[in-house]
Amino acid sequence: MCEVKKRLPLHCPACEAPLKVGRLFCEQCDTEVCGDFELPLLARLSEKEQRFILDFVKSSGSLKDMAKNMGVSYPTVRNILDDLIEKLIQIGL
Amino acid sequence: MKEKEIVARCVNPFVWIAGVRALLYGGTGLLVSVVLSWFTGFHYHGILHFGSAPNSAWWCYLAEHLIVWLVPTVLFYGGGLVASHSRFRAVDLFGTMLFAQIPLIGMNLIYALPPMKVLSCINPAMSPQEILNQPGLGLAVVLSLFGLPFLMAAVVWMFNALKVSCNLKGGRLWTVALIGIIGGDVVCRMFIRFFY
Repeated sequence: MCEVKKRLPLHCPACEAPLKVGRLFCEQCDTEVCGDFELPLLARLSEKEQRFILDFVKSSGSLKDMAKNMGVSYPTVRNILDDLIEKLIQIGL
Repeated sequence: MKEKEIVARCVNPFVWIAGVRALLYGGTGLLVSVVLSWFTGFHYHGILHFGSAPNSAWWCYLAEHLIVWLVPTVLFYGGGLVASHSRFRAVDLFGTMLFAQIPLIGMNLIYALPPMKVLSCINPAMSPQEILNQPGLGLAVVLSLFGLPFLMAAVVWMFNALKVSCNLKGGRLWTVALIGIIGGDVVCRMFIRFFY
């Protein structure tokens, strides 16, 4: 049976509110930690946005290299970055 | 390439091309357009106005093209500085705006057709009856309608050049675009009038 790649849900499927971490467990010894934890800032971004940040770091922050690798123009990459910065500010950077 | 991507590239090429490359392609397009206009007597009176004019010097065609490119671009640049939350490069805006003029070559080619010569014989001093009596006017008017899609394409590309280069969206984008295109047309006509 092929393994299904599960995505981390960021919003409540019922009311769309942002989800928090309530339970963590150790796969090795089954220890559980319960509580009320915020998701790390980067984990609150969409998969596409996280991929963009990884690409940004991998290209040493060069938007020109990123544009070349993605096959798009420089302002297109810069706009994605600017919109991401705006989003990070909104969610409390 | 998928059909959807081809359409996306035609509507907004600036997602893929900008900066110096757009400036080079656009510059080549501008030179081709100036030469074609010079041969056909097709003048740019503004961003949205074209026709005949009483100055057939080559420099007049070049100046018209440069004005039609630079005036809306400078207005967009000012609007972008005020309305955009992003820092943008002048070369992207100037390059994409020059590239956006390329569809106007289609209009030039239509005006190069022999039946269009009749339009260059019309001048504002003629009475409406005299204008209507010009032989072949109907065909010229019908052919000129085929130029409209090229003009619309140029306007759509100018809009998208502003959108991508300055990272504008929604109301801010529309406000700057309308000021740049309609206001730019008025300013262009004021400048170009000095050449006649």
